[in-house]
This record gives sequence, C-alpha cells and structure tokens, in this order.
Amino acid sequence: MNLKELYQEIILEHGKNPRNLRKTEGFNKDAKGNNPLCGDNVHVYLKLNGQKIVEDASFEGSGCAISMASASIMTDLIKGKNEHEAKEIVEDFLGMIKENPELKSKYLSEDEKTKLMCLSGVKQYPMRVKCATLSWHTMVSAFEENTEEVKTEN
Amino acid sequence: MNIDQIKKEFPIFDEKIQNNDLVYLDSANSSQKPKVVVDRINEFYTKQFSNVGRSVHYLAVAATNLYENTRSSVQKYINAKDKNEIVFTKGATEALNLIANTLGQSYLQEGDEVLITELEHHSNYVPWHFLRKSKNIKINFAEINEEGEITVEEIEKKITPKTKLISITHLSNVTGAILPVKEITQLAHSKGIIVVVDGCQGAPHLKLDMQELDCDFYAISCHKMYGPTGLGVLYGKKKWLEELPPYQGGGGMINEVKKDRISYGELPNKYEAGTMATAQVIAFDQSIKFLESIGIENVMKHEANLVEYGQELLQKNNSVKLIGNPKNKGGVLSFTIEGVHPHDIATILDEDGVAIRAGHHCCQILHDKLNIPASARASVGIYNTKEDLDQLNESINNCKKIFNL
Repeated sequence: MNLKELYQEIILEHGKNPRNLRKTEGFNKDAKGNNPLCGDNVHVYLKLNGQKIVEDASFEGSGCAISMASASIMTDLIKGKNEHEAKEIVEDFLGMIKENPELKSKYLSEDEKTKLMCLSGVKQYPMRVKCATLSWHTMVSAFEENTEEVKTEN
Repeated sequence: MNIDQIKKEFPIFDEKIQNNDLVYLDSANSSQKPKVVVDRINEFYTKQFSNVGRSVHYLAVAATNLYENTRSSVQKYINAKDKNEIVFTKGATEALNLIANTLGQSYLQEGDEVLITELEHHSNYVPWHFLRKSKNIKINFAEINEEGEITVEEIEKKITPKTKLISITHLSNVTGAILPVKEITQLAHSKGIIVVVDGCQGAPHLKLDMQELDCDFYAISCHKMYGPTGLGVLYGKKKWLEELPPYQGGGGMINEVKKDRISYGELPNKYEAGTMATAQVIAFDQSIKFLESIGIENVMKHEANLVEYGQELLQKNNSVKLIGNPKNKGGVLSFTIEGVHPHDIATILDEDGVAIRAGHHCCQILHDKLNIPASARASVGIYNTKEDLDQLNESINNCKKIFNL
C-alpha cells in the first residue's frame, strides 16, 4: 500500500481543479452514473460532430479526488476520438485499473498514457476502484444512449 | 473501570491490521466482539448444537432452554414487562419492517400520517415508504435544528390530527443527538399516537428501560451491541404484538394448519417463523452479560468523556468541521474537511490503522439537508481510549498534509 502512489500530484491537482466540469452546450449524448454505496454521482455529456468524432466532453457531479481526477482526465483525452476509439480506450483503461501493468491502446499518445497511469495506484485499493471507473462506465453508457443510470461495479 | 483490561477481552485488538495496531472508530457501524461471545458460538456448535422449539430429544430441549434464557436476559436488560414482548429478528432492519408491515396490514389507513425525522437511517424511512406506495399513507419529517437535534417542540409542531404514528431514532448515527424519547412518547400518547423507536445506536450506549420510556416498539441491532451479526430484537408492547397479524408465515409460528384454515401460535412464536439464528441468540446472552459486568452507567460515562475529548480535539483542528453540536450527544463524531472528500479521508486514515466510515451512513435525507454529499464519521465503543482519538487527529493532520492544506 502506498498513499503517495494513490495520491500523486497530478491526481490532487485534477481533483482540486477538474477540467471540463461543466455541461457541454448542445451536447447530443449524455448519461448519469452513481455509486449507491457512497452517494457519489456523475453526469457525462458528449458532443459528437457529423463524422461521429467527440468535439466536446464534459461532466457534472461530485466525488472524491480519485473520481474527480479520473473524470477530468477522461473528458480531456477523449476529445477528438471517435466512438470506436473511445470504447477501446475505455477497455484499455479498465483493464489497467484492474490488472494490466500497462496501457496498450494505439489510440493513446505516450503523454496520455502517462497521465492515465497516474491512476494506477488505485489497483492496490480495491474499495476505491469504483471511484476511478464510474465516469468511464458512464461515458460508455452515454455513447450507447442508455437511459438507465449506471451503477458502479468494480 | 480499566479500559485496557476491557480491551484485552476483544481478540481483534491482538491482530495487526496492515502492520498497524487497530484504532477502531467504526462502532456505530458495527462493534467488535468480545472473546466470550465468539467462544460461545463455537461452544454451542461444537458441543450443544440442536434446533430449538421442535424436537424432544435432550439436545433440543437444552438448546431451547438456552435460547429462551437469552430472551429472559434481554427482557431484564431492557426492563420489559413481559418476556413475550421480546421477539428475535434477523436485525433491527427486519424489526422495523415487521412493525411497518403489520401496522400497515391492520392499523394504518389511506391518508394516515406517519411522522419521522430528518435524522432517520434509511431503515426507518424505506419501510414506511413502502406503505406510502401501497396504502397511500403520508410521511412527514420533523426537521433538525442548527445543532442537529430534534426537539419535542418540533415534533409537536409536525403532529396533525391525521398523525397515527411517530417513528424516531433514539440516537442519531450522524449528529449523535440523543432524542427526548420519553417526552416525545408522553406527548404522542396524549394524542393517541403510537411511538416506534429505532434503537440501533441507543441500545449499545444508553440505559434502556422500556417501562420508563413507554414507547410502543423498540428495535435493537445485536451486532452493534458487542453481539453476533444476523440478529436483532424487536420489543413490542404485548397488547400490540397480540393484536397485530403475523409477519412471515412458516414453521414454528402456527398453532394448527388445516386445508381450509390456519391458526397462529402464541407470542413470541407468532413472529419467529422458520429456524431462527439460534447460535447468535444463545451467544447474545454473553453480550448482555458482558455489558452488565461493566455496567451501562460506566459505559455511558466512559463514552461521554471520549466524545467530549474528541470534540475538543477536532474543534481545535483547522479545516475540520464537525456535524451537529447537540447538547445530549452519543459517541459519534461526524465531520468534513474542506477540500478533502470523506472517501479520501477514510483511505488515508486507514493507512494508519484508523478505521472510520465515510459516506452518507444510510442517511441521505440528512446529508441533503446539510447540503453535503457525504461525511466522515468516527464512532466510539467501550474499548476506545483517548489515545485512539489522538491518533485520529494525527492521521487527519497527515491527510491535510497529503492534500497540501
């Protein structure tokens, strides 16, 4: 267990000043997620253009530093990706948070990978994995236009 | 009273938790278990096991006696008038569901009002919500004051001619407020209103006297009372338990079963359908004996000292904000730290072996009212010391350091 690995500067910084914490104007996909155990919630908004590329991504909600940082980093790097690419990145991220030592997706730049790896400390805290993954599951739900609220799962 | 000696009776404190000594501050969630309780479960299963109340062989008769002994101990401990006013359930949640369900079947009518408070745990709200859906009853909420208390005046204000029942917590699991249950009951009874008390936090920490409180029902959670999980106690006045219909149907709760008619058993069997949590009931007798050996007055004095000490400590700690400041306060210290989410607090404290709870503590109504999504909560039990609270404070400081506060 290593708190320093969990609470890296970049996590604290994103947690304190989350990027894209707002509602995208003219969004065309959105979904809500919540964690019934702790009451944390997130609402993800996506705006896709004619070529189905994410033009803007944002979120509203409240949660711990891990969940806020995760949503902040996610909404930042998903911009400019299409649905297929985004979903592959989600898979890659979820795999890394649970067990994989590294990220493999060809749709992620080295810089983006480095940023995401800052969340890998969560692996050692099984109870906190859901904090990191809630916004990601919710984004998938937005792509798939699920109207049902996403409940956290590890 | 020697707390170090009492602490030694709890085997868990001999364990290292992730290489740390355990600072257990989560007793409002569930208490640790003294060795006598753990040993009793083991002894019953290894040497005395049988089902109760059915067979006539030696073991069955002995087990039935042990089971009924606990009922007598509970009756004595809470000063109930009659042994049959004690019903075992699978928990306080089931006890509250039993009350709501049976009152819903035979007493509450469409348009009737149930008065609860903003302090209630979900288990003292959701069962009434079921009746709101199925019977169209109305639920009203008595509101907390600035200190996180519920006053008799507030209750009086919320009573209407349609109020049929008041269901309140004895001790809030978030603000720690101890409610004036006796006074509320007097007021309610003067208006012909039934009183149900959620005693989950009250029973482990306060002196219980059902005849003095005079409430109609009282729900107890045994695992918060140094007892086993899977067990609760419902106290109900005999006239109510006799009058109300059964809750669950099955073996053990019947008198006679025919193809065209069924008659139900006498109290308390009427409410104890199926095989009960036998080992837990028998072991719970040891929990009561343990509490009696210390004396509830001593428990209350010790915990009041701890809370006062902890409150002072946290009040002095910048950026810590305590939730509620009731005059009559039980062993609960709920707080927030500006700029750190409660889950992050709990994870960081855990690293030092300090076990607290973070979240809404099954009180979303209260957290909405306070306009916070969650809080951190340290709660004490008989085994806690001032050193535990010093460690809590130190770990909070570490948490602030990590978050650059």
